[in-house]
Amino acid sequence: MKKKVIVACGGAIATSTVASNAIMEIAKKNGIDVEICQCRISEIPSNLDGADLIVPTGRVKRDFGVPTIPGTPFISGVGVDKLEEKIVSVLSE
Amino acid sequence: MVWEELKKELIFTDFDAKTPDDIFEVLGGELVHAGYAKESYVQALKDREEEFPTGLCVDGFGVAIPHTPEEHVNEVATAIAALSHPVTFLEMGTDDPVDVSLVFMLCVTDPQAHLEQLQQIVKIIQDKEVLKKLQGTSDQQAIIDIIKEKEQAL
Repeated sequence: MKKKVIVACGGAIATSTVASNAIMEIAKKNGIDVEICQCRISEIPSNLDGADLIVPTGRVKRDFGVPTIPGTPFISGVGVDKLEEKIVSVLSE
Repeated sequence: MVWEELKKELIFTDFDAKTPDDIFEVLGGELVHAGYAKESYVQALKDREEEFPTGLCVDGFGVAIPHTPEEHVNEVATAIAALSHPVTFLEMGTDDPVDVSLVFMLCVTDPQAHLEQLQQIVKIIQDKEVLKKLQGTSDQQAIIDIIKEKEQAL
């Protein structure tokens, strides 16, 4: 089944685009079918329907009831292997 | 390649700033003056940074990538500042303080169209040795050369 991943950043532009692309590559590598929904962090609530994972590249202050993994390592490069593992583990469930 | 697009007049070395706002005003002001960004860009940088900070800590080296929504931008450009003293930003994702020594200010229009450029910048800022070299030079051309060397090795 297709997994829906919300990738969000402050402005829905630069960092979430880089993160979205990285997640698509991870999914492809692991044979996971994903649909990426790229939006601003403020728009997460209106995109929650059917979401399996949220990867924000900025601070998310509330719990949306969906697994949320900070995507900042896609930008800083620090801890990106761990991040990849976590994403795969959530999407493989 | 990012280096091919860099302009010497958008590179600031030994830049003396005390706050992120100092950097936003001078670099952002230059981007506005040169026509890459709209008048609203500098205020948009400040607003965005306050709500969603752009500081990053790469193995102990602080770098920031301030940028704004595309409506404040005319044309893609990157301004760079190597700071003479670190300036405290907040970290993207955690809001923890991070002492930033290098700033890549981005004018982004259509991120999908410029994905390669963005990914390239991300690869540059993920290399601590490159960041150190960039911060250690006072020469604008050297900044371009260091980035060129890094990109050609990718």
